Amino acid sequence: MTNDIARKNSSLRKFLGNTLRNIQGKVFALLSVCVLFAGSAYAEQTTLHIAAAADLQPVLPPILAQFEQATGIHAEATYQASAALTTQIQNGAPFDVFLSADLGYPKRLIDAGLADTAGIVNTNGFSDSSTPAIYAKGTLVLWTRKDSAWPMPTLATLNDPKLKRLAIANPDRAPYGKAAIAALTSLKLLDTLKPRLVTAENISQTAQFAETGNADAGLISLTSASTQHLQTIGNYVLIPKDLYPPIEQGAVLVTNSKQRQNAHKFLEYLLSTPIQQQLAKSGLTPVK
Amino acid sequence: MDWQALVLTLKLAAITTAILICIAIPISAWIVLSRSRLRAVAEALTALPLVLPPTVLGFYLLVLLGPRTGIGRTIASLLGHPLAFSFAGLAVGSVIYSFPFAVQPIVAGFSAIDPSLIDAAKLIGASPIRLVRTLLIPLASRSLLTASVLSFLHTLGEFGVVLMLGGDIPGATRTLSIVLFNQVENFDYAAANRTAAILLILCTVALIAIYARPRSRSNRNA
Repeated sequence: MTNDIARKNSSLRKFLGNTLRNIQGKVFALLSVCVLFAGSAYAEQTTLHIAAAADLQPVLPPILAQFEQATGIHAEATYQASAALTTQIQNGAPFDVFLSADLGYPKRLIDAGLADTAGIVNTNGFSDSSTPAIYAKGTLVLWTRKDSAWPMPTLATLNDPKLKRLAIANPDRAPYGKAAIAALTSLKLLDTLKPRLVTAENISQTAQFAETGNADAGLISLTSASTQHLQTIGNYVLIPKDLYPPIEQGAVLVTNSKQRQNAHKFLEYLLSTPIQQQLAKSGLTPVK
Repeated sequence: MDWQALVLTLKLAAITTAILICIAIPISAWIVLSRSRLRAVAEALTALPLVLPPTVLGFYLLVLLGPRTGIGRTIASLLGHPLAFSFAGLAVGSVIYSFPFAVQPIVAGFSAIDPSLIDAAKLIGASPIRLVRTLLIPLASRSLLTASVLSFLHTLGEFGVVLMLGGDIPGATRTLSIVLFNQVENFDYAAANRTAAILLILCTVALIAIYARPRSRSNRNA
């Protein structure tokens, strides 16, 4: 009996040893691990997923924390260029709410039947499910490092021949990039500055180009310029509002979302007066 | 079709490949011939760009080579301009980014050479340089070709590093992958398809050219 067990044991050990030595066994083990990981990716999801424009990166995290405290709903945001988020939603990305940096992209999704603002009372006091809900207005600033040639930038800084590289967001698609080009055009500086422009993918990368000193200055969002870090190492001057069209930022609910109710709650919360008043601190102009 | 971007991309890939092969041959030879304990560390370091996300690599280069560091200021004074947002900057980034694709095939090729040949050459007094020049390189020529083509193609499709470091300047840093990305992001899918087709055709033809070559007998495993 014991002999029998011992024999079984030794044959088992031999089998295991052979398998481990055997490269096929290793490959099989590796594949099993991969399959397990792949399976876990299909876990149930109850988080509210928010697609947020890059300029909201400094603004949204505290609001999401407050929202969770107030309602018990856990929300997570993905910060990217509004254009990229629009493409993703068009291709079925599992977002519930889209906070854009302009009105054009959310409108595009509404027109495609992929998003709406059903039941959201807009700032003008009535609800219209076919227009994005404006939740804030953005402000464009000229930012420079304190250790640059312009510790306190002014509009005249843009005229300075010493300014070799000016960072802007991509004007083809980033709302702040469009505003930057509009402002330079109004100032009649576009032709002069065109060869000196370096284009960033979105507004946070624009700030990064200027913050690392690789660009001499950047036309960035007030939300970035208001962050603790950028306040410490640099200064900014507001670009006068009459030089560029207003950067109205629109929000929509994703129509196919599985969490319409929670998404709706979040958008109402973002449009509520106390949260709107908080926005001013972080560099966005409230709409209420 | 953005021909300027195509020419720039081919130029970047060619320069990167030339620099890489010059650097990769001595490093690979050292890895294969040396008895040092540091070999494993060196091999690991050469493989690192495989695991670092290119965007992260690009960001580190932006900071490291920017005007805030000694290295960056030295480079700027040598070149007359900072490395970021310039073709030279992309070349530096690409060399780091495609490094494993040059080193690994060459290491494999050198390792596959019969050790007795190397021992014999050492015995009759060949210096390491002569050993590499007259024995390793000729016997691993196929691996060198593979390394060149892979480095070239890998640089051709490089995106993350360029996005972080380039600043999208036409004629200087706007490569084909950036053009393609812009076209997709701007919803211009027809143009994106054309750009993607060019990249695909270039790469497919080049890869078929590698795989179609008969394997030489002296160096079957490389």
